Amino acid sequence: METTKAEIELKPAVSAFSAAHDEPAWLRDLRLKMLEQYPKLALPKFDKISYKKWPLTAATKPVVQESAASALADLSLDRANAKNVLVMLGQTVIKAKLDPELAAKGVIFTDIFTAVREHPELVKRYFMTTAVKADANRLTAFHAAFLNGGAFLYVPKNVVIKDAIQSYYIQDSTRDQDFVHHVLVVADENSEVTYSENYATVGDKPNLANVIAEVIGKANSHIHFSAVDQLAQNTTGYVSRQGRLAEDARVDWAVGAMNDGHAIVDFNTDLIGRGSHAEVKVVAVTTGEQLQGINTHVTNIGKHTIGHILQHGVILENSALIFNGVGHIVKGAQGSDAQQESRVLMLSTHARGDANPILLIDENDVTAGHAASVGRVDESQMYYLMSRGIDKKMAERLVIRGFLGNVLTEIPAKEVRQQLTATIERKLENGQKSE
Amino acid sequence: MSKLEVKNLHVAVMDEEDKGQPQQKEILKGVNLTINTGEIHAVMGPNGTGKSTLSQAIMGNPAYKVTEGDVLLDGKSLLKLPVDERARAGLFLAMQYPAEIAGITNVEFMRAAINARRPENDQIPVMDFMKLLDKNLALLDMSDDIVERYLNEGFSGGEKKRNEILQLMMIQPKFAILDEIDSGLDIDALKVVSKGVNALRGPEFGSLIITHYQRLLNYIIPDAVHIMMDGQIVESGGPDLAKKLEAEGYTGLRNDLGLDVKLTDEI
Ligand SMILES: Nc1ncnc2c1ncn2[C@@H]1O[C@H](COP(=O)(O)OP(=O)(O)OP(=O)(O)O)[C@@H](O)[C@H]1O
Ligand SMILES: [Mg+2]
Repeated sequence: METTKAEIELKPAVSAFSAAHDEPAWLRDLRLKMLEQYPKLALPKFDKISYKKWPLTAATKPVVQESAASALADLSLDRANAKNVLVMLGQTVIKAKLDPELAAKGVIFTDIFTAVREHPELVKRYFMTTAVKADANRLTAFHAAFLNGGAFLYVPKNVVIKDAIQSYYIQDSTRDQDFVHHVLVVADENSEVTYSENYATVGDKPNLANVIAEVIGKANSHIHFSAVDQLAQNTTGYVSRQGRLAEDARVDWAVGAMNDGHAIVDFNTDLIGRGSHAEVKVVAVTTGEQLQGINTHVTNIGKHTIGHILQHGVILENSALIFNGVGHIVKGAQGSDAQQESRVLMLSTHARGDANPILLIDENDVTAGHAASVGRVDESQMYYLMSRGIDKKMAERLVIRGFLGNVLTEIPAKEVRQQLTATIERKLENGQKSE
Repeated sequence: MSKLEVKNLHVAVMDEEDKGQPQQKEILKGVNLTINTGEIHAVMGPNGTGKSTLSQAIMGNPAYKVTEGDVLLDGKSLLKLPVDERARAGLFLAMQYPAEIAGITNVEFMRAAINARRPENDQIPVMDFMKLLDKNLALLDMSDDIVERYLNEGFSGGEKKRNEILQLMMIQPKFAILDEIDSGLDIDALKVVSKGVNALRGPEFGSLIITHYQRLLNYIIPDAVHIMMDGQIVESGGPDLAKKLEAEGYTGLRNDLGLDVKLTDEI
């Protein structure tokens, strides 16, 4: 059976990898246990997203590898000079900076292996135990077994960080190697932080990316989490972001799903504490032959919790984009609010799109609503724009910008907005090449 | 000097009222018209006679199919060019029913339109653009905030018309076709819009003005007036022709000319 084969073949390599990073026993044991279990666990199910045939669990042998910083030359890491920044290429930390004032206050921002060594108790307490469990499904178990990079951000009680924490995680696909990356963000009580992450790829080897970010918001914390995902065409990606909020905590997710290959982007926020609040804003652009399946799930568990989902996406060429929006209010979550809007705009007749709203309401005293649409660019609008001399591509870009702008204007941070806008332009330029 | 020529133009649309096989319906039945820069021509005619069809066919709206004849700019046929190329060649159409587009601001749109006419390495500097915009807004008595609003979205009828003229003044084409730019305008707005068009008047600018009302032609004095009925120009003349029409109505004019056409409001 394949299961045992994976285990037998890869066990020594996983152990060696763990040893090379001086990992404590708990992490090594977790890896080995998940290595044994992952082939037997079920793949997570996402409505209307069929990905069973994707190579998301064909592991390459984990080896400790250095990547040369020179490979980053072609990338523009526009905010790599920020005060607080982490740049990683593959498993290699290229740059790690944290404002000493923040460090003095107890803020931790470092790569995941350093964190495991230097802050074992904190990491052990939260790593795949709270926001998502390692054995939740085949992809999470795979993740735990083959973890080969990542970051840890800890914001202590009552600390409010003004400058954004920037990170760039670059997959090294100049060689055959899985990119299994874990980000753990813990915001302690009454803290506030803006964290921004960017994923990209160098090289064109066909590799998988399995990315999990866990966000734990303690009581009355506020996390502004923004992400721009730009994994390459030859990368098959599973990108999961999991949040768990305590009383009156709030997370604002602002994400651009701009990958060029097949990808599943999975958001899941559990509003546990009374009065906790999640805002999820997603923009997505698909091009070429790719499929991006975006599954956004918010569960209202505590009383008076608020979960809002707003996602707009544009589909070009032969690509496909699926938005699932799941708003789930469980029994007992009185006074809660679940709202969502998912809209998809198709620019080519070969594009396929779906906006799929799902409301699961198990409590009476709540408010909930959804809006969803799949549409094409209006011909009379295109004609009007072009009648002023604007060519077809530019006219399309204007229409798309307008369409995605509905989400962008809802994102409070100007920097994030600008960055997303720039990414959208890049992706559109690529996507219009073949037309 | 430039010349816009419409030669024996026949235009058909797909008639979608017939269920089953869509039928081609001929709207223009041989229109001839020549406009030089420096001239303003007015076209008048009853409802449903093909005036908007003529303007859309000249501009290159793909919904209108030219079955015979030609449209030429300085001797070169435009028929094979898509609408954006015709626009860059110098045509402008102020539409009877401008589209509304949420998400694109008016100002962003106008800048894109101007830059579309300029090489990529010579886009209009923001300051120059803003100066030009302010000048034209003042001339058209428009408030600043209209340019920050989404393109035509939620604009009143009159605001849309003014906005068409604002674009016209920003773009400064060789030839502008104004399709019922006066309909729905109050008297002050009519004067303002006329002022805009008159400001462009000169040896480098020609216009084709479609209107139902002689009143507009008191403000923008045309060099020629054409009457269109049933897909053809049936009579041409000077500004007096518009006055005669105002006095007699289309029925009178038709009877004068001894034409055999049916007018829409006749039973
Ligand atoms: N896109 C179209 N599809 C079908 N029929 C059309 C289309 N455009 C115009 N027509 C028809 O062609 C005829 C001429 O219409 P057009 O809009 O050119 O008239 P007009 O002279 O501009 O009238 P008005 O004074 O009412 O604006 C009408 O019978 C109209 O219904
Ligand atoms: Mg008309």
